[in-house]
Amino acid sequence: MQQVLEGSHAVSEAVRLARVQVISAYPITPQTHIMERLSEYCADGNMGARFLRVESEHSALAALIGASTSGVRTFTATSSQGLALMHELLHWASGARLPIVMAEVNRAMAPGWNIWADQTDSLAQRDTGWIQLYCEEGQEVLDTTIQSYRLAESVNLPVMVILDAFFLSHTFEPVDVPEQESVDRFLPPYQPKFQLDPENPCAFNQLAPPDVYMEMRYNIQSAMDYALDRFEEVEEEYFSIFGRRYQAVEPVQCEDAEIILVTSGTVTSTSRQVLADLRARGEKVGLLKVKLFRPFPVSLIRRLVSPASKVAVIDRNFSFGASGIFAQEVRAALCNLPGHPPVFGYVAGLGGRDVTTAIIEDIYWRTKNAGIPEQESFWVGISEVSHAIGHC
Amino acid sequence: MTLRQTAVNCPPLIIPCSRFTTESNKTGSWRFLRPRYENKTAPCSSACPAGEDIPRIEMLVAQGLFKEAWETVLMENPFPGVCGRVCYHPCEQVCNRREFDEPVAIRTVERFLADTATRNGLQPDIKRLNAKQQKIAIVGSGPSGLALAYFLARLGYESEIFEAMPEPGGVLRWGLPTYRLPVAILKADIARILELGVHIHCNKTITPRFLDEVTGHYDAVFLGCGHSHSLPLKIPGEDLDGVEDGLRFLQKLRQGKEVVLNGTAAVIGGGNTAIDVARSAARLGAKPLVIYRRRQQDMPAFDDEVTMALEEGAEIWELRTPVKIAAVEKDYVLTLQQMEVIGEDARGRARIRVQLNKTEEISVQHLFVAIGASSAEQWYKPPPKKSSTMRLSNCSILPRSQGPTVVFGGDLVADIKSVVHAIASGKQAAMALDNLFQNGFDAIRAGIEPNLVGDGPSLSMENYLGWPRTQSSRSVVHHEDLNTDYFRFAPRIIQPRLLREERLRSFAEIDLKIGTILGIREAERCFNCGICNQCDNCRLFCPEIAVVRDDTTQNRRINYDYCKGCGLCVVECPRSAMTLEEECLCNRY
Amino acid sequence: MLEIRFHGRGGQGTVVATILLAKAFFQDGYYVQSFPLFGVERRGAPVEAYLRVDRGKILVRTNVYTPDHVVVLDPTLLEGVNIAFGLKPGGWILLNTHSTPSYLEAFRGYQVGLVDATRIALEYGLGTRTQPIVNTAVMGGLARVLGMPTVDAISKAIRDEVSSRPEANIKAAEKAHAEVTLLGLIDDRSNTSWRRSNLEDT
Repeated sequence: MQQVLEGSHAVSEAVRLARVQVISAYPITPQTHIMERLSEYCADGNMGARFLRVESEHSALAALIGASTSGVRTFTATSSQGLALMHELLHWASGARLPIVMAEVNRAMAPGWNIWADQTDSLAQRDTGWIQLYCEEGQEVLDTTIQSYRLAESVNLPVMVILDAFFLSHTFEPVDVPEQESVDRFLPPYQPKFQLDPENPCAFNQLAPPDVYMEMRYNIQSAMDYALDRFEEVEEEYFSIFGRRYQAVEPVQCEDAEIILVTSGTVTSTSRQVLADLRARGEKVGLLKVKLFRPFPVSLIRRLVSPASKVAVIDRNFSFGASGIFAQEVRAALCNLPGHPPVFGYVAGLGGRDVTTAIIEDIYWRTKNAGIPEQESFWVGISEVSHAIGHC
Repeated sequence: MTLRQTAVNCPPLIIPCSRFTTESNKTGSWRFLRPRYENKTAPCSSACPAGEDIPRIEMLVAQGLFKEAWETVLMENPFPGVCGRVCYHPCEQVCNRREFDEPVAIRTVERFLADTATRNGLQPDIKRLNAKQQKIAIVGSGPSGLALAYFLARLGYESEIFEAMPEPGGVLRWGLPTYRLPVAILKADIARILELGVHIHCNKTITPRFLDEVTGHYDAVFLGCGHSHSLPLKIPGEDLDGVEDGLRFLQKLRQGKEVVLNGTAAVIGGGNTAIDVARSAARLGAKPLVIYRRRQQDMPAFDDEVTMALEEGAEIWELRTPVKIAAVEKDYVLTLQQMEVIGEDARGRARIRVQLNKTEEISVQHLFVAIGASSAEQWYKPPPKKSSTMRLSNCSILPRSQGPTVVFGGDLVADIKSVVHAIASGKQAAMALDNLFQNGFDAIRAGIEPNLVGDGPSLSMENYLGWPRTQSSRSVVHHEDLNTDYFRFAPRIIQPRLLREERLRSFAEIDLKIGTILGIREAERCFNCGICNQCDNCRLFCPEIAVVRDDTTQNRRINYDYCKGCGLCVVECPRSAMTLEEECLCNRY
Repeated sequence: MLEIRFHGRGGQGTVVATILLAKAFFQDGYYVQSFPLFGVERRGAPVEAYLRVDRGKILVRTNVYTPDHVVVLDPTLLEGVNIAFGLKPGGWILLNTHSTPSYLEAFRGYQVGLVDATRIALEYGLGTRTQPIVNTAVMGGLARVLGMPTVDAISKAIRDEVSSRPEANIKAAEKAHAEVTLLGLIDDRSNTSWRRSNLEDT
């Protein structure tokens, strides 16, 4: 049923519909609304899940690792410092091949203390073996969360569903909340491939000496490769029931585009508006939305951007000493492709600064007017700080 | 456009998963020290003259197993209702918790159990041994005689009690005021003993001829006659009409006689009887004045009782001794000699002497004498220094060539005269007689000795019967043996009591009942010194997972094939229920 | 696309007002988007919230910089906040106030509406005497100013979402809808000492 729903609550609804059995989280803005709603559902009996209250994000994920190992469907949510605190266990969850699903509300890392949108928190966890899916609107958040369980459980890797702080998490908009029966049809009960069983005791994840460790790592990468394929199949099945799909990488008017903007998260949505405006003025611009970041769909991206003459990547994140992280990944994907278009990197919207239609348009014109990128990253709208923000 | 890349098949799932155990390594062979579970003796148990298994009682209460806890009391003491009220609780003096915050209110928990048993009409499962042929006559139905009858019954012996008074109970029935011990409580405890088949003959005074008359009927006679004869002041005027003996006065009250007092009631003496008389007098309308020859702190009466007497309006005149009593109209004029302190004896009591020429006179309306008591008949007491008498800690045994063996017990052989010592006396006598009958006179000491609780002289009947407590070590747990990191500070329960004004209105019991939650909370304060309460610290801390829990018995055991003897379990046991010993290396090298 | 900015204080229900209005517009067939100014508010601190309404899907996910209309739940905010900032010329400013304010010339070029939402809230016992909750009354006033959403849609949104005394809240919205004073465009000819009675005739 279509209803006006907050982005956070779109996640909560999806988790309810997925019949998750164990939930654990530690509150942190801007994630908290997700868990508040879920804890109400558990308390009111609208969900049959066990809601484990814990003393930290580290414990939240540790609890889910235990729960998931016992063969149940699990969920957690966090942001920023909370995700950083989970870091060690993020590796554990993927190494142990547990299909845990997490909602990660992108929030800037501190200090300076900042609760607003910034993707650096989740992108800093790109090497932990989690599948990462970036969403741009409430409907996509709901659909992706439900899909994530199918994906995670079929490849035995954990999934992060990622949404921008406030621009998505706290924004109310119409969302179609599907019926339980339809979701049940799409997402049957979890059938674990292994689980803790007191009747049949065994130890998981004990010592893995050098003669097997590499094989295990390779096995995870094989699962990641397989996840690329599975993602599409999951989307197909979802589409057949609900009529919606998002694609790992969504090209918008890229076929004849001279300049392709590469975006992720809510910037994509605003960029669609800019794209329409520029196209109306005759500009040959295209938009490439990267939803699936891990595994990174390298060949798809190569194929989709190669006809363009320039690529402009907008990053609401930054890797210090390097560049915007999506730009890095796109460059890495293209570098072995002979005659690939130059990649312009733009950093915008860090710490919740608004990425307005004007900024996106500015990025387009800058790219169009430049020959080749003069710097790895162009920081959009950065103002000169004439005074020290603080003294030692 | 399709997003499908090269077709990828679902890869196999590789995770580290092992069904092997490293138990086959037998790392236990490397061990130099061996931990083992060993229940030990708590200081409270050892200090309890009845030898109650207090840490277990508290553990069971904390677990809500009230009937089991009550039965654990009954294993060693047939008088939980009485002792839960009037015992002077030496257990609490040595409670290890005293060094942590405050001792556990053990007596309060015992009374809680007795009250709970009464309220729920619990019937204890009291196990008894097979019937024996010997029969025992018990003279006096005070706590020692009743305790003896109780323990004998459990050992399989038939006994009969001869009581001079119309009802059983001795000092408990006639000597203690009801505000300390309501009669219904006493009767309930006695009824449970009589239900074991003990016969009692009331209103039956025994003469010395009795010992010979019963030859052939009884194999032994126990004399637990107590102190029923008050000591005289030996001063002029003592025999004046109306100068009352304190014990007789209390007895009169317990017989239900109506007494009204007014004016000042002087009580001479400093023992519990004196204080009982003073407090009773206060309830009957008089202003009590306790006259004692030493200082207040030297009074043999229990501190609590003295404090409450003062609260109830009694006055204490210390360092004064009466030298003359005269009757003037309806009053008594008491001449008091002042005393002075000239030092202290080994126990810290004042040594005193007369202050010459310092006397004073006081006019009082009532006068009670309670300076101590002795046995009513000389033959109740054990013969002095007779070589054939075996003197044990709480009873003496006189074998006779003709007639039944005579056992002396109760207050007449005790150093400390208390209810719980009388119970100890009955218990010791029961064990002694059993040994006498089964193995002969010379086997008595050796038969009793293994049943000492800790350092003794308390004895355990559970042990004597060979039940689980036998497995506990007699080694006493001291405060430094505990790992108190695992305990939290928690204040001791405050005994709820009647208000002063309410107390003075009647002889109603002063100490009020406590509820289940408070009872459990107090029992939870117990460290359970020396006994495993299945806290599982050993299992959680064992780095080798060599501590195994048996799901059916809930007991823990150590897998010695695997235990490397690191000793962590012993260190982390909060209550010293484990022991670390050197491994015998002789078999290995 | 219609963009409306709401000014209030933490605890007045400003954010809830935008959500309820979003639901009411959605009920009336519009696509909606509402969100608060993303900050770290506390009770009593100035807060802002936004509402976007359009016939088609709203793609823009940025803050609102040039609102079509502005709603002020607490007039004392006017002292510290430039509530007309970025407001498009001719846009409505709906003020919750009990009298005709003396500072109207500051809003030259805008249309002004007045609603005594605080009194209405007190009348219907919304919130407490010390802190009346004015949001539902303000919603009623806004619906009258804009001519949308319908009172029925507002009533339904309140009934569906407000757990505490929904009927009283609906009555407050209806009363504000009926009572709101439309001063219209403030221009050079405008007399800032207008009386409410004068307005009833226009």
